Amino acid sequence: MFHERFGRNKSDNFWMIAMYVLAGIFLLAFVFPYLYMLFSSFKPSNEVISVNPTFFPERWSLENYRSVFQTSDIGTNFANSFIAALVSTIICLLLGSLASYAISRTAVSRFSNFLLVLVLCLKMIPMSSIVVPIYGLVQQFGFYDYLPVLCIVYAGVNMPFVLWMMISFFKEVPVELDEAAAVDGAGPLKSFIRVILPVVTPSLISTGIFTFLLAWNDFLVALLLTSSDAKTVPVALSEFLTSYNLDLGPMTGAAVLFSFPVIIISFFLQRYLVSGMLAGSVKG
Amino acid sequence: MIINLHRKDNFSHTVPKKRRMLSSTIERKTLGFFFLPAGLFMVAFLLFPLLKLVYDSFFAVGDNYEGRTFIGFANYIKAFTSQQFQSGSLHTLVYVVVAVGLETVLGLVLAVILTNKYRGFKAIRTFLLSPLMIAPLVAGLVWKFMLSSQFGIVNVLLVKVGIIQSTDSILWLADSRFSLLACIIADVWLTTPFMMLMFLAGIQSIPESLYESAAVEGANKWQIITKIILPSIKGVLFSTLVIRVIDAARTFDIIWAMTQGGPQGSSELLSVQIYKMLQRYGDVGYASAMAVIFIIVLIGLTLFAQHKQNRD
Repeated sequence: MFHERFGRNKSDNFWMIAMYVLAGIFLLAFVFPYLYMLFSSFKPSNEVISVNPTFFPERWSLENYRSVFQTSDIGTNFANSFIAALVSTIICLLLGSLASYAISRTAVSRFSNFLLVLVLCLKMIPMSSIVVPIYGLVQQFGFYDYLPVLCIVYAGVNMPFVLWMMISFFKEVPVELDEAAAVDGAGPLKSFIRVILPVVTPSLISTGIFTFLLAWNDFLVALLLTSSDAKTVPVALSEFLTSYNLDLGPMTGAAVLFSFPVIIISFFLQRYLVSGMLAGSVKG
Repeated sequence: MIINLHRKDNFSHTVPKKRRMLSSTIERKTLGFFFLPAGLFMVAFLLFPLLKLVYDSFFAVGDNYEGRTFIGFANYIKAFTSQQFQSGSLHTLVYVVVAVGLETVLGLVLAVILTNKYRGFKAIRTFLLSPLMIAPLVAGLVWKFMLSSQFGIVNVLLVKVGIIQSTDSILWLADSRFSLLACIIADVWLTTPFMMLMFLAGIQSIPESLYESAAVEGANKWQIITKIILPSIKGVLFSTLVIRVIDAARTFDIIWAMTQGGPQGSSELLSVQIYKMLQRYGDVGYASAMAVIFIIVLIGLTLFAQHKQNRD
């Protein structure tokens, strides 16, 4: 139905042209902001804040990138972002897959149903209201602005998302596999590691990508829990644009550096992204 | 289940008996043991802060968390009668309705467009996914830059097209009439691709035979869209809407990057208001009460949606 060739009849031709035009308009509208950012980052800094901005740079320059590295600790910020996102993702996957496997295999029991609903409710909490109590907790133990704590907090706040996604993946794994393993004499933990985990590896990858992105893109938690040593890129980015200074040029450079690798990697891992997106919402 | 969509879930619904009986291969003790490590993390960083919030909401708390007096539901009464809380709720509602409404319509249009298997459409889909990977904060910053009345390209383009006279005719971020709309624009840009992807997946699970029989009956494309595609993806539509409504209501980063809730609180959603009240003004008791009300509404919405979906 939706894959005719051009030239069969008039109405099909009209439809096809209309679809191409619409698709083109949407493509332009959605890619424009990102391209504008990209091209702006290659403008000299005075051109970025021109009152008559153009789309393409009139003069290409790496000035913005240079000044990001000179005027801020963006390198450290990148390292912090990366470590926090990676370590928290690993913790989440290790503990989360174990827990969600257990829940998915006891779906009938009332206790596991309770856990399931609890996880869902925890997932729906707005971070902006509980991040201050979290801050109080971290402060109390004297762990403010400490990278390992950031990793652990991310692992905690993203755990419901991981559980929720992994449960739906585990439910697709036939129970016969567990039973076969049990017949062969493997305990629950052993059959989980030896038999089940290899089967769900693709799902683990897509859950991992999203969990990584959640921590990598987080702004709020890092805003409250860090100030200098453990500061992440989003917090640094937000500091380029305050009421006191408006460093648009360096901001565009840092934003491109921050988002570009993610987009490139996502292009290659698209298959996992789409399957992950269907199992859980992006912004847990 | 809300987030668990499509074939997987439909499938488990069609063969419930055998599955459910077999699916208890783990004993309760093992369940507790397996859940415990992940559970500890969630208790420490989600459940405990949540309980702290509920506890604090019954107290009048002094500065720096010192000196607290139990005042019962007074904070809740204060919240319900306060002008500020009402306007915050109203902004949240407007934001959710307008942003999610636009995203749904645009997402549907895009999904229908990309259902056509024309040359190049696969590449277009890939490109459209790129906003999905961008941090909400970055999206906010990009749009703040583009909507700026001094250096922004949006107003320059609008002047060139002839919609407005000069680049400061619309002060997107400084005019209280437009600030919320400006944030909505950024949200729509960031999330419409997600809607498209979900709807597209729904459309792809429609069996080809339905189209074929419709074609035999002589249905045109418009009829196929309204009579086959839309009814078939009702389930997906509902799930996606619920996810998005809750996410949009919780939006923080975009607003913070673009306006911080200003000017004069005109773009202050509840999430921003609660955060400010907790972090800046130190009225912990009152802020906690607002947060508890907000969380109850969101969780109520979630459970209602889940209940409805499990029944269907």
